[in-house]
Amino acid sequence: MLDALDSISDSLTKETAFTLAVAVLVLGLVASYLAWRLTHSLFRRTGLTSTVEGTTVERTAGRFGTSTAGIIGMLFALLVYAFAMLVAFNITQVFDVSAFWARIAALLPQLFVAILAIIVGFALGDRAKLAVQERLRSVKLPRASILPGLVKYSIYYVAALIALAQVGVAATALLLLLAAYAFGIVLLAAVAFKDLLAAGAAGLFLILNEPFTIGDEVRVDGQRGIVQEMTLFVTHVEADGEEHIVPNHQVFRSGIVRVRD
Amino acid sequence: MSGLSTVVDELIADVDGVLLFTTNQSTYEQFADGDLPVIVVETENAVGAESYVSLPLELSSPSERVRFGIEGAINQGLLEEDEEVIGLTQSFSESRLDTVVRVRTDEFTQTGVYDLFANSRPDAEVVRDVFEVAIELGRKGQKGKPVGALFVVGDAGTVMNKSRPLSYNPFEKSHVDVGDPIVNVMLKEFSRLDGAFVISDSGKIVSAYRYLEPGAEGVEIPKGLGARHMAGGAITRDTTAIAIVLSESDGMVRAFKAGSLVLELDPEAY
Repeated sequence: MLDALDSISDSLTKETAFTLAVAVLVLGLVASYLAWRLTHSLFRRTGLTSTVEGTTVERTAGRFGTSTAGIIGMLFALLVYAFAMLVAFNITQVFDVSAFWARIAALLPQLFVAILAIIVGFALGDRAKLAVQERLRSVKLPRASILPGLVKYSIYYVAALIALAQVGVAATALLLLLAAYAFGIVLLAAVAFKDLLAAGAAGLFLILNEPFTIGDEVRVDGQRGIVQEMTLFVTHVEADGEEHIVPNHQVFRSGIVRVRD
Repeated sequence: MSGLSTVVDELIADVDGVLLFTTNQSTYEQFADGDLPVIVVETENAVGAESYVSLPLELSSPSERVRFGIEGAINQGLLEEDEEVIGLTQSFSESRLDTVVRVRTDEFTQTGVYDLFANSRPDAEVVRDVFEVAIELGRKGQKGKPVGALFVVGDAGTVMNKSRPLSYNPFEKSHVDVGDPIVNVMLKEFSRLDGAFVISDSGKIVSAYRYLEPGAEGVEIPKGLGARHMAGGAITRDTTAIAIVLSESDGMVRAFKAGSLVLELDPEAY
């Protein structure tokens, strides 16, 4: 595109080129203002303003007298204006270093995306931390408080990785680290939740098909008694004042004997 | 004025504890700094009090509330049976403390109303939800007409074995819990059917339309109550369930546990 501009500017006189460049600059100014406005209204309309409220990014932005929407809008406006400037320079050919400008032009969007990734990552991380904290608030377990932080920094890490990859820094090692981390989590989860998953799957069948129901006398997993409760994960079987809570996969595996007399 | 302050001074002299019915943080802190033990009785522990009795329902009458607070506090070991306590609660205002009650903790016989919620087999929340349905049904009736209803909560397996269906169970193969607003509407609709609702420990509605068949010997219920109350009272003696009965004739909500009446509420007061 810049080559095309070059060929246009070659065919222009110096005065026309200058006027055109000024016009492009003014147009760029207007466009960047519009971009800034657009970001603001987009933030408001999609409810993003309330979403980022209370996050570190928003607070930091607040300290500089602006907001997240302001920062992203500014970035966007700057990008547009930088592009306009680029075009203007090319038309007037003040500096005849088109190769240099071409490289800058290629780098600009990447830089923009990188900064955007950082901002979005920080806001998202904070939000996720708050959400997890909210969910865990009813659980009065001090050790569970490590989880929100873990979630937050995981998201920060991914955001940083995206940003680094955008500007072309070699991040392969970090990527490998992330892969190992993700793999570890998946592996741990699979091992830890194995029984729960199996019980849940069996429970789904039991609840949907109801081969037995509350009040039936059954023998499951060696326990004979009256069914008191059926949930997704466990079945409560009670006999002689003893309530056996049997995991559903065990119910399924052992088979069910319905006692009828 | 001196007469008034003498009475008030006498009222608060030599008390062993304060039952505070408040969700206001600053009110609580005024008391927490004093040397009297303070027990907060409310639907939620909004003030983060150390001694706290959870009020399951918004009991409207101050005496009911104080009675519940004392039973709860004794049950939790926060109060002894021969202590003098002050209850600070609301009679007319919604949130402002406007009533001072002085009561000896053994002044009345314990009805087990705290026990009904805290130490029953079904979850306290389930009991509360069923109460709320019964109260609402009692207040509004079914399409404006007074209705009766019988909810048997907890020990559902045994209850099902001590009862028989009157017709098809509308809740068969459904997995709905009491407390869900839509389900409460369903419960109200089905209340025009005769028979009992059976609800499990965790609040699952097991069946409607059940005819309870417990042995009714030795069940003491107040005179004047009918077959619904008798059936409800009797089933709680034979099982570990509790029964919540809405009377069609006088519109009261009554709760039975272990064969005896524990709580009587007027839905109109809510």
